[in-house]
Amino acid sequence: MNLQNITADKLVGLYKNRDLTATEVITSLYEDIERTDKDVHAFLSICRERALEEARRLDARIASGEPLEPLAGVPVAIKDNMTIRDMTTTCGSRILENYVPPYTATAVERLRSAGAIVVGKTNCDEFAMGSSTENSGFFVTRNPHNLDRVPGGSSGGSAASVASGTSVIALGSDTGGSVRTPASFCGVVGIKPTYGRISRYGLVAFASSLDQIGPIAKSVRECAQALEVISGFDHFDSTSADISVPEFVKDLDRPIKGIRIGVPKEYFVAGLDAEVRAKTEAGMRIYEDLGCTLHEISLPHTEYAIATYYLIATAEASSNLARYDGVRYGLRVDNSSLQDMYRRTRHSGFGQEVKRRILLGTYALSAGYYDEYYLKALKVRTLILRDFQKAFEQVDIILTPTSPTVAFKIGEKTGDPLSMYLSDIFTITQPLAGIPAISVPCGKNSENLPIGLQLMGNHFEEALLLSVAHHFEKAGGFTV
Amino acid sequence: MKISEADVEYVAKLAVLEVADDEKKELAEQLSRIVEYVDKLNELDVSRIEPTPQVVTSVKHAVRDDRVAPRTGSSEAARTVKLFKVPKVITER
Repeated sequence: MNLQNITADKLVGLYKNRDLTATEVITSLYEDIERTDKDVHAFLSICRERALEEARRLDARIASGEPLEPLAGVPVAIKDNMTIRDMTTTCGSRILENYVPPYTATAVERLRSAGAIVVGKTNCDEFAMGSSTENSGFFVTRNPHNLDRVPGGSSGGSAASVASGTSVIALGSDTGGSVRTPASFCGVVGIKPTYGRISRYGLVAFASSLDQIGPIAKSVRECAQALEVISGFDHFDSTSADISVPEFVKDLDRPIKGIRIGVPKEYFVAGLDAEVRAKTEAGMRIYEDLGCTLHEISLPHTEYAIATYYLIATAEASSNLARYDGVRYGLRVDNSSLQDMYRRTRHSGFGQEVKRRILLGTYALSAGYYDEYYLKALKVRTLILRDFQKAFEQVDIILTPTSPTVAFKIGEKTGDPLSMYLSDIFTITQPLAGIPAISVPCGKNSENLPIGLQLMGNHFEEALLLSVAHHFEKAGGFTV
Repeated sequence: MKISEADVEYVAKLAVLEVADDEKKELAEQLSRIVEYVDKLNELDVSRIEPTPQVVTSVKHAVRDDRVAPRTGSSEAARTVKLFKVPKVITER
């Protein structure tokens, strides 16, 4: 039994036909985790007893002929920045090492209501701050395609788990590419939906105006299945959008002939790896063969995106992370006075990258610099949003590579924070504009490392986005 | 814009972070590089542009009906967390 070659649909079908029990699947899955995760290190924690208990209950229901939920018995992994009641939620940070939340994130709750079985919590960059999962306060996750490479970040554990078959679907979160980059580096599918599509209740805040949960899976269909289940208004998150959720799965096979695909010239510049470029162009030809039309477009403010993002995201983070002061959550380093306790706790609990970002964000918000940095970044954000609004008047979908390179080597960029930030260039603008984007596999390079193709849509156009991605998969785009 | 070690110290104080002496120099250098990079935004004239603090995608007003509904309360939180003892805040002069 290897989950690497099985889809959610197939699994549910096998249960229905009584070819396989959920208990068998979950038991063998934990054997796989034991075998592979000592190398990959995708999981921060597992919940074997709880998962087996849920599997046994499902098997009893199947035996009595009860109808099954759409994701009944499908093993899912959850990035460790989403809360699950009574399960440690660390966000990859020592400061939350022993934090056990009293409630469950809405997205996780909905996934479980749809029958999914949570098998564990996955590793990530501390508080989702990073592009490689090397910033975890616990250990580095490795890319299942090549253990010397990073899995991408910050949802590296979730993508690595799906790629190594230790979960069928995983949830990640995306603030500046944290679902799409790891999906691209690990050769799987990952979608960041429109801001507001999924409730952020129970997603530990990094940058509240950008954060969005997104599913990762091996196929577009499974991502659509998960997205359909977890989307929708939630009165625990006032920024969740109160609009209806389309039937994404039903809509996957809608015809895409005549769809206008924009290719922004600003993404095909120096720094884009030649092999990534070649595969992206091969992907573009597939769309031409499918009857779509390609159009060169311009997103002129792309070059300002990283500066804008790293000011806004760090400013919001510096405010959000003020709550980790040793009083209410996890770690406390005791000291004689309250101020000392705050400072010592934050000193021993936060890692280097988190401290760096808190300092940068605090600086950008501090008196004398607020207008020059933070406010200016918010204004440039308006220009970036307008770029997309103009583009979507001309085209339906925008196509780019997901990342300018394939997965880089572990340790390659850790000494130079700015070079790590610059690697995010293609996945930064979409959260700033709040639009949805998906990364799908688009072949491999000469070293057998996966390459990702990114597709973006207008606000709340996930149904179109998913169907365009699904047609690409059906046409063999994943192995182009 | 260069960030000095004194700037690091000042911002760390604002953020209630302890920064060890041997970290200050490196942080000042790293932050200077980042801030010099973000100074790129000065190339743009944004004097007439409105800021976008959040892309508003929610069409309806967020205020909900005033109805009683089950929700995790403080007693539930207290079950899992040692609430909320702090060191002495008020001291004698």
